[in-house]
Amino acid sequence: MQLASPSAHAPPRLLLAACLHFAIASAPAAAQLETTAGASIFSEDGGPLSMTVIVPEVAADVQITSGFAVNAGWTADIVSGASVAVVDQPALTVDAISTASVSDVRHVVGGGVTLSDGQNTLAANYRYGFENDYRSHAFDVSARTELYDRNTAFEITYARSFDEICDVPEASEPALQPRMPNSDGCFDDADEDRVTRDLALHTFQAAWTQNWTAILSTQLTATALLLDGFQANPYRAVRIGRTAAQEYHPENRARYAVGLAGRLWIAPLSGAVQPALRVYRDTWDIRSLSAELAYEQTLFAGLRLRARGRYYTQNGAAFYSDDYVLAPVGSYFTGDRELSPMSSWLVGGQLSFNPESDDQGEVLGFLSSLQLLVKGDLLKSSFPHFHYDRAPVPNDLALVGSVGIIASF
Amino acid sequence: MRALLLLCAALLLGAGCATVRPEEKEFLADPAMSFTSGGMASRHEQHVLDNREGSSGAGTARGGGCGCN
Repeated sequence: MQLASPSAHAPPRLLLAACLHFAIASAPAAAQLETTAGASIFSEDGGPLSMTVIVPEVAADVQITSGFAVNAGWTADIVSGASVAVVDQPALTVDAISTASVSDVRHVVGGGVTLSDGQNTLAANYRYGFENDYRSHAFDVSARTELYDRNTAFEITYARSFDEICDVPEASEPALQPRMPNSDGCFDDADEDRVTRDLALHTFQAAWTQNWTAILSTQLTATALLLDGFQANPYRAVRIGRTAAQEYHPENRARYAVGLAGRLWIAPLSGAVQPALRVYRDTWDIRSLSAELAYEQTLFAGLRLRARGRYYTQNGAAFYSDDYVLAPVGSYFTGDRELSPMSSWLVGGQLSFNPESDDQGEVLGFLSSLQLLVKGDLLKSSFPHFHYDRAPVPNDLALVGSVGIIASF
Repeated sequence: MRALLLLCAALLLGAGCATVRPEEKEFLADPAMSFTSGGMASRHEQHVLDNREGSSGAGTARGGGCGCN
């Protein structure tokens, strides 16, 4: 038997001490329950391609004491539509694009705990996502502190995800790998026509929020995301010669992003201008820039309107080609239009309503607060260097709509 | 790189000087000044963008406390 050295106990002791600190510092308080329920819809349509995703979500957050809260939730992606089966299959017109029907439901359940002493917060969460052809276990931990009269906030987050993707058995070389026709037999050990591939994700994020004056606040965020494992779409094939093969992506990818957002109060209008800028680069050589401008204002008695516009542009991945038969690029090949040079415009609006509380501090006689929210966005994308043979991308316009309600008891 | 680190250090040190007193935070406490307005709907939209663009990351984090009381 090997005895652990005293230093091996240091991290658990530190963690225990931190938990005790928050537990002792938190004053008993009446438990407060916040429930969230809502749904979003994503709809994209054009030619023979269509995709509709309905996303219901319910969540509950219980503040047990002033320094200790737990949360739990469920969400789902209900997907239906028709996606491209073979990219660059002969298709001179949009209607000739070869498609495969898509129908799946992804469930995500999870929960977490939050410890806080008012100025410092520790949080940990776990989520399990599953669908016919994909499974994911994800953990995240975050620490946050507020300094200088709470005008400065720092937050660091680490997230780890263990994903499994269903696929067909590996061929002797990528050019011979067929695409997976459907999800039948996935995660069934007895089915020899299906295998499971792994994907590991590490996410590191740091954020600095700063109040500079009574009307100006900024937030600087930096993210590093490291992926190791299977990152292709097993259903998608690319024509690379006489035959088509399942797309073949590198197994490693490091993605880096830095964002700067601001909030500037416009006193004469009693509203706030909200600009944001983000730059991105990854080891597949994609570089992107997104710029956003929003304006939010209270119209009257708890009714708020937010309008926004966003522009996004990126170059293509180092191994992207619009035609791998005539212009192959290295040993990898992809049919993912989001790895081609592209740009997009997004315009949208959001209405939220917080009814004012009565003299007893209650809303509708039994709630401590209530928020209703309606949101809609239109996303128009442009893929000038992506074609299905010679047919342009037909489904380049998407609508995203959401409704939600948050009630606190 | 060294210049960037020096700039970040200067900004961090400057942050301590840029103190807004609690009684001056009326506008900072307005929901329009929050970095996380939209909640669930914003998360769903970010999920869409992550799947419809070749990049992701550097999303919003929770803002600083109001400290108005």
